[in-house]
Amino acid sequence: MARVNNWQIGRTMSYWYSESRPKRQFGAVFDINKCIACQTCTLACKTTWTSGRGQEYMLWNNVETKPFGSYPLGWDVQLLEKLGPQTWEGNVYTGRTIFEAAPSGERLLTTIRTSIDYAHPNIGEDEIFGSVERGEALKLPQQMWMFYLARICNHCTYPACLAACPRSSIYKRPEDGIVVLDQSRCRGYQECVNACPYGKVYFNPATGTSEKCIACYPKIEQGIQPQCFVNCIGKIRLQGWINTPDKAQEDNPVDYLVHVRKMALPLYPQFGLEPNVYYVPPINVPDRFLIQMFGPQAPAAVQAYRNAKEDKVLQGLFALFGSTERTIPYFKIAGDYAIALDDNRREMMRVPIYEPVHIRPAVDRLYQIMRSNTT
Amino acid sequence: MANIIYKQSQVKPATCNLLLYSPIAILLIVSFISCSGRSIINTQQVVASRITQELPREDPSSPLWNQAMEHPARLLLQDVAEPKLTEPGVELVRVRALHDGKWVVFRLQWEDKSQSIIPEPGAGSDSAAIQFPEKPGADVPDAAMGEKGKGVRIWYWKSIWQDDLERAQQGKGDRIAALYPQATTDHYPFNANSAAKAEMENRYAPARAAGNPITVRPANSPVQVLMAEGFGNVSPAPVQEGAGRGLWRDGQWVVTIARPISPGPGMDTLEIGRKSYIAFAVWDGAAGHTGSRKMRSGWIPLMLEGQ
Repeated sequence: MARVNNWQIGRTMSYWYSESRPKRQFGAVFDINKCIACQTCTLACKTTWTSGRGQEYMLWNNVETKPFGSYPLGWDVQLLEKLGPQTWEGNVYTGRTIFEAAPSGERLLTTIRTSIDYAHPNIGEDEIFGSVERGEALKLPQQMWMFYLARICNHCTYPACLAACPRSSIYKRPEDGIVVLDQSRCRGYQECVNACPYGKVYFNPATGTSEKCIACYPKIEQGIQPQCFVNCIGKIRLQGWINTPDKAQEDNPVDYLVHVRKMALPLYPQFGLEPNVYYVPPINVPDRFLIQMFGPQAPAAVQAYRNAKEDKVLQGLFALFGSTERTIPYFKIAGDYAIALDDNRREMMRVPIYEPVHIRPAVDRLYQIMRSNTT
Repeated sequence: MANIIYKQSQVKPATCNLLLYSPIAILLIVSFISCSGRSIINTQQVVASRITQELPREDPSSPLWNQAMEHPARLLLQDVAEPKLTEPGVELVRVRALHDGKWVVFRLQWEDKSQSIIPEPGAGSDSAAIQFPEKPGADVPDAAMGEKGKGVRIWYWKSIWQDDLERAQQGKGDRIAALYPQATTDHYPFNANSAAKAEMENRYAPARAAGNPITVRPANSPVQVLMAEGFGNVSPAPVQEGAGRGLWRDGQWVVTIARPISPGPGMDTLEIGRKSYIAFAVWDGAAGHTGSRKMRSGWIPLMLEGQ
């Protein structure tokens, strides 16, 4: 085991390989508050990559309802229980990562996944935290809560799948940090399937090998965001590049939300993988739950999001989500416009920060009808 | 130990008299010899008896196996490299061997209560392998997959590969149909395009499209020939000549694995009448044994009998 720096847990940690960061790292921000679980992302991915024999239950992208939904079954709660107390002192994680909790003879703490774990993709879907008593639905703030968690491979800086593979069949692409599984080399040991704490590597019984999200790298190579991003009708996703905090750039949209504003947070940072999909946490969920899922900065992130409507830069940046299929390496705000910039900081496109508002009379005099507000 | 083997043995030794007249063989047989319908146990080495009949390369239940001595090979946990096996699996494999001067075939027999063939999440495929040093001589490589510069050659039988062949021969469905017989699927995109069906089907099976050796194996053989120089770098050997067949019955696997005595360039050669070495490994699929999570032996002396 080597010692590596993991900025998400505020300290060094043990990892199977030494630290080696790619030239640039795939990064993404998902705004949970906008997700409606329409599963368009799931279908976009499925039809593109996993429509084959043996891939029936393989969902590189899925959206699950928290707190009760999970795919594969119990992927997070099983590991949280095995990992033991997950304590923080400020922004420093004082518990054990899955690498530090590795039992004797293992490279890391795993979750053994069996076929039954993949048999119920819809379990817990659209269920809320508790039962709604008579009249309770009318109370504000809501007493009962739930939220949708859209998930893809996190293309982690310290991937558990990569560490677990005895054949080194998994690697991080040096040019973009995307984690890929070499299909010509895999022998189907399933170590990666059990190692990924997010349950995002799948075994294909038809071919006998394991498969995972490739972040649509053929698109990324052309400067285009992945399928699950560009097909998101809620425009909750933005793909770009993430730097370490010491190299954060204010005009990099992912850096800005993650490092500068600290509004977008990693999923279960305590696992120790330095995952690179960042979530704007839901605003309607108790702090305790959010801290467990997104770390100690979650309450502050929620507050910042609540205040975002007063902030032109944030408003503009969120307006860029889902506004172009191009990857957005940089951005700027100019007047009432948010502008997406390419690698050379040249303008790719612009969107108005505030949509124009048109107020029309309730009665259409021309056609002599009443207008109804249906949008 | 010998008593346990004695109870399990059901074969009658035809070579009994021959062995009694051979002083060397008598020295080697330390456990016991029985001429009353019990097996001959040789705890010191694996001896491949030479026969003139056709080798039972794919027949684990051939009566010819009665002519072979049995070596009880004790298996150890693979506890050298992570991920290790921490809970014991199959601890004993009973080995017999026959040769005809060109090929040598080994019969491995072990207890496995649960037959596990098709790998799925959480379960592997029952498997067995025989391993040889790449180069002859007493300076053997590490028995755990060899080492850098001192490689090993492996003949690897996997029950799923045999099952694939048998299902194809019997016109039965693929692994998915066998694994989930009640499953229904609404649509595969390649079914809608007959002209491009094969190409599309391949595209949605990336391991096949990438030419992964576990999906592209020698036709009609459930045995893959591999080479390795330590853990983590096993790869297909330059010569893919191997045969074998397994039978699972009453909680036992009986599996033959055959190899040429001189497979050709890049491979190890066994010499008749001269001591070499062999090692064994067994995977219990139901226990999730795959890859380095296996039971394995150290090097065991191997002798191919002469005339």
